[in-house]
Amino acid sequence: MTPPRNRKALVRPHVVTAGRARPSRNIFDLVTLVIATSGGVGPLTPEKRRIVTLCQGGALSVAEVAGHLDLPPSVAKVLLSDLVDSGHITTRANAPADPADRSAHERLLREVLDGLRARL
Amino acid sequence: MGQFLLSATLACLGAGLVVTALLLARQRNVTDRLRRRNAELADVLRLQEEELRHLAAVRLPQLRDRLEGRPVTVSGPLDERRIAATGLDKTMTAVMRLFTEAVESAKANAEQSAKGTLKAMMRTVQSLANEQQLAISDMQQRHDDPEVLAGLLRIDHMNAQLGRRAQATAVLFGSWPGQQRSAAPVVDVVRGATSRIRDYLRVQVSSEVSVAIVGRAVEPVVLAVAELLDNAARHSQPNTPVEVNFQLAHNGVAIMIDDAGVAMNSEEIQRASALLSGRDLGDIARLGDPPRIGFAAVGVLAARYGFTVSVDTRSPYGGVRAVVFVPNDLLTKVDDGQDAAPAAPAEPKTVPATRSAPGPLPRRRRMDAARDASADPAGPAAARPARPPKEVAAGLGAWQRGTRSGRAAAAGADPGNATEPASDIEGNERS
Repeated sequence: MTPPRNRKALVRPHVVTAGRARPSRNIFDLVTLVIATSGGVGPLTPEKRRIVTLCQGGALSVAEVAGHLDLPPSVAKVLLSDLVDSGHITTRANAPADPADRSAHERLLREVLDGLRARL
Repeated sequence: MGQFLLSATLACLGAGLVVTALLLARQRNVTDRLRRRNAELADVLRLQEEELRHLAAVRLPQLRDRLEGRPVTVSGPLDERRIAATGLDKTMTAVMRLFTEAVESAKANAEQSAKGTLKAMMRTVQSLANEQQLAISDMQQRHDDPEVLAGLLRIDHMNAQLGRRAQATAVLFGSWPGQQRSAAPVVDVVRGATSRIRDYLRVQVSSEVSVAIVGRAVEPVVLAVAELLDNAARHSQPNTPVEVNFQLAHNGVAIMIDDAGVAMNSEEIQRASALLSGRDLGDIARLGDPPRIGFAAVGVLAARYGFTVSVDTRSPYGGVRAVVFVPNDLLTKVDDGQDAAPAAPAEPKTVPATRSAPGPLPRRRRMDAARDASADPAGPAAARPARPPKEVAAGLGAWQRGTRSGRAAAAGADPGNATEPASDIEGNERS
């Protein structure tokens, strides 16, 4: 699923962001969740289209979007804020820490931990 | 007695006179002949001298000029028929042949060593540019500050241009383009080429085509398209766009690059076509100052990898239309996992979800949602309500908390890689 390493170098970030380094809005953290709105992908650049398509399945964090696209997170933020501006995606409030669900996720995390221990 | 002696003396004298007269006449004949012969020889000598002078003053300089590539016709002897009779013409021809051979071999040697040196130098520059690119990519991953990123983007852009120049020069002098790549969609190939030119913001990729270029041809096509884009951008006004269109054909795909600059005249087109065919390699001395390596390098690449490039049509904007035609053997299908065609999103998510089952690592629920979405023909938007949003949020929240604590524990580690260990492990499971 992760594209081969050398693929990264083909389209350089300055072309991806059209030379911009500063996101149009400063609302993104690495863990900010983004989700696609119901609109279509329209005439977007390939990277933006991939983001929208990725986020149609549910919320994703900025770090994950950057990882999937194999782009630096700071570059992904520029694209994401463009997409928020154009109404293709929206940010989602961070999840409340719900004590009722806590044990289930502790179990999940424990499973992850055990799995990792078993492997490493 | 006296009478007899007198007559005898007279007779002798008479005979002597006759003999003398005969001898004189003969002598005169001989002298005449010698004089004529002498005059003839002097004539031949003068002719040969003139021919030699003509050889040194006119013919050899003309030959030198022609060997240097100037359009000069080398003249023949002054009087071909007469000089042929003396046999000197063969000697002169031999001299000229020797001269030609000497000049040509000296030129070939010089060119060979210059090419070798340049190739080695360019390879060094190229590998430094590659190393630098890796360092820049690494910094782009680690730094989040827009100010730093702005600087990094500029450095990256300049480095990409530097790499391109070194690569094109190395290719022209017989090197391979290097950089093994996996197959890439044509659109990405063009955008990759755009990354490497100065005026990249003027390039507009307006149409789309869903084919990819096979791995071994990616770098050569990127390089060729980059040279053509650069050429288009440099020969048109800075405020005009350079437009790229694609045309899918029966035998391949055409990448068309239109500029709004000045058209080339027929002489320029002829020269460019010769260079682009890859037949006329040109030598270092003829590249000009500043050296124009673009078309020559494109020609070498096209001939070596089997695509064709032409610049003999006009663009709709009155400038030049460059067409790169990539034949079917260099094309492949677009890998759906890489290119997010709107129909394909479910696929990459479904696969890990099913794969996770046998392993000890549980998958995130987000993947399950995606699988649901892929199962539902109505698409992801319709599938979303099937799962309580709270569940999604809680799942993600847990992930988020995990990421945060992970970041706190290993400050400085790249959180962008948070998803990567999972996929690595998944890779191990598969094997």
